[in-house]
Amino acid sequence: MVGAMEIYMLLPKTNCRKCGLPTCMAFAVGLLGREKKIDECTPLIEEKKYEAKLKKLREVMAPIENASETGLIIHPEKCFGCGNCVVACPVNVAAEPTRCALGLGPQSEKVILKVEDGVVVANNLKECRRFGPNKTLCNACTVTCPSKAIEFV
Amino acid sequence: MAICTGCSLLCEDIEAALKDGALSHVKNLCRKGHGHFQAAFTERTLPMIDGQQVSLDRAIAKAAEILRNAKSPLLYGWSNCTLEAQATGIKLAEKLGATIDDTSSFCQGILMERILSGKIPSCTLDDVRNFADTAIFWGSDPSSSHPRHLSRFSYYPRGEKRQKSYEEERTCIVVDVRRSATARLCSNYYFRLEPGGDAQFLEAILAVLEGKIPKVGDKKKMIELSSLLKKTEWGVIFPGLGMVYSLKEKMELFEKLVAKLNEITAFKVVPMVGHYNMRGFNELMREKTGFINRVSFKGNAQGGAPAHGPEHSVVAAAKTCDAALVIGSDPLSSLPFGTARALARLPLIAIDPRRSLTTDAAKVVIPSTLSGMEAGGTAVRMDGVKIKFEPIIDTKLLSDEQILSRIMEAI
Amino acid sequence: MAEVVAVTIVTVRDIFHDEAGRKSRFSEEYKNLSAQIILDKQDMARLGAKDRQKLLVKNDVGSVVVAAKTSEDDAHPGLAFMYNSPWSNQLVSDVVCESSIPGFKSIKATLSVAEQNDVTKISELQARMQ
Repeated sequence: MVGAMEIYMLLPKTNCRKCGLPTCMAFAVGLLGREKKIDECTPLIEEKKYEAKLKKLREVMAPIENASETGLIIHPEKCFGCGNCVVACPVNVAAEPTRCALGLGPQSEKVILKVEDGVVVANNLKECRRFGPNKTLCNACTVTCPSKAIEFV
Repeated sequence: MAICTGCSLLCEDIEAALKDGALSHVKNLCRKGHGHFQAAFTERTLPMIDGQQVSLDRAIAKAAEILRNAKSPLLYGWSNCTLEAQATGIKLAEKLGATIDDTSSFCQGILMERILSGKIPSCTLDDVRNFADTAIFWGSDPSSSHPRHLSRFSYYPRGEKRQKSYEEERTCIVVDVRRSATARLCSNYYFRLEPGGDAQFLEAILAVLEGKIPKVGDKKKMIELSSLLKKTEWGVIFPGLGMVYSLKEKMELFEKLVAKLNEITAFKVVPMVGHYNMRGFNELMREKTGFINRVSFKGNAQGGAPAHGPEHSVVAAAKTCDAALVIGSDPLSSLPFGTARALARLPLIAIDPRRSLTTDAAKVVIPSTLSGMEAGGTAVRMDGVKIKFEPIIDTKLLSDEQILSRIMEAI
Repeated sequence: MAEVVAVTIVTVRDIFHDEAGRKSRFSEEYKNLSAQIILDKQDMARLGAKDRQKLLVKNDVGSVVVAAKTSEDDAHPGLAFMYNSPWSNQLVSDVVCESSIPGFKSIKATLSVAEQNDVTKISELQARMQ
């Protein structure tokens, strides 16, 4: 997972405040927390000298931007398709007490994690315990993954 | 629902959708199983003699001719065949007075023999899910070799006496020479050994269980291990090739540990078999000859008993036999170079659904079905549970069983 | 910087290697995953090798050119890992003891930086068996 320092190194580092924040470091943290968007740094977008940095920044930010509202990111190229997350997920277990709870593949659409075409896919993430007003720091899917294919931003 | 014959877990909850002769969508297959299913659609073999395509009938006739004329043929492979095909193969070996051996010969054989004879107690994977609170992965890395092992049986699912599962009621221990993917999931109880250090570690566990100071290992960690083992209600050990290859002739030491653990509580052993029906072959052979592998039926014609020994293992027989049939296996990829070369230089018959180093080097190639997808039958899971399955794809190809029957008729 | 480093090679499983081997024994992917040796960084330094540098792995059974890969595991100098394949099998002896189990997990070999730019091809391994 990319860190604030790595992001900071790709910014103008002028503390010009055009994004509304006092320093570029604050903007880096804001990007990471998805409170700010890359396009809010107008010098980065408009000035040709930052072209290479902008390109690299968009690359490293892509997985974070694609992360769901719960902050869940899946890296299918790392996934073993082992189903540990499918069987550990408390939402899955509650939705399928005779299947996921016991190690079998799900059959309903209520589950939020399932293995398709050899890798895990997420679905229905609004049911995830990390979402919404009563959110908890559930980490069942990340701690049971053998290859860090599932992580949270 | 389809079955996956990618490994000896034989997962039965696979949903596969096909479209235009390709896989369009599958559910519940792990990455390994998915690769196995996708393989049905590429690099399929055709009937060949000396690198030239021929009719299936000619290829079968040539195979029969080679075997008929051989004085000491070797029939090898078997662990990727159904019980029905294996049974036919064993009959063929008897008829030919051939040597027959399978992958267990250089794999889990020495452990399997002890499990099938009852010297080491075993159980089913469903028992593990329902009762086991301690599982030891010794020289095995199921996350990589049997990806759904932990989610279907040994760590994450709930069971009859394990409703709180991995969070409160299951502990997994990994003993290995490296921090494998499975070791990363069990980092609280990960014991790293030097290669070949398994015998010493076994002695250390025996010592600490008796309250003595272990000669190897972190003393504090070993004492924690001892407490965990003593508090176990129902334990299981899953030895992989890492342990089997390390112990080899010293398997009695493992028997001793298992016996000691059974003084505390029920402690079972399930071998981490690789191929989907290796155990099936071992069980059939044992029933027929008393031995699980490495058998010669040479004395058969004179009414003699089958012979058994290391000289009849594929590694030795590759050098002494004068023709070989390889079925559902690619020894030219997976065996030591000298054995691979010896086999390649023989009149070699390869029965395989797909192209491999072995089919490339074979004099005769006979294309067959992929069991589980294109052919049905019965197989024995790593824990001894028999599973019957039906195919999901129609094909004109012959199954292993059909090919072997036709060869037998032609001899 | 040593020129020749002695190691014990243990062959292990990898899900991606297995998947590639199931799809094809003749692909670039299978070659790249098989023809590599995972080394502790101390051994890499002793060899003067970088990631993906081609190494000659040799013992009295045979030799093969593979790519070096730095291990992400806890330190294990003197110990190397490969995935069981026709490449690793070039180094495994078929002379066996009573149990008739080859030494797949105890291969003694020496490593040195190779002159070749590429790893050994599968066609070469096939030719050696003829």
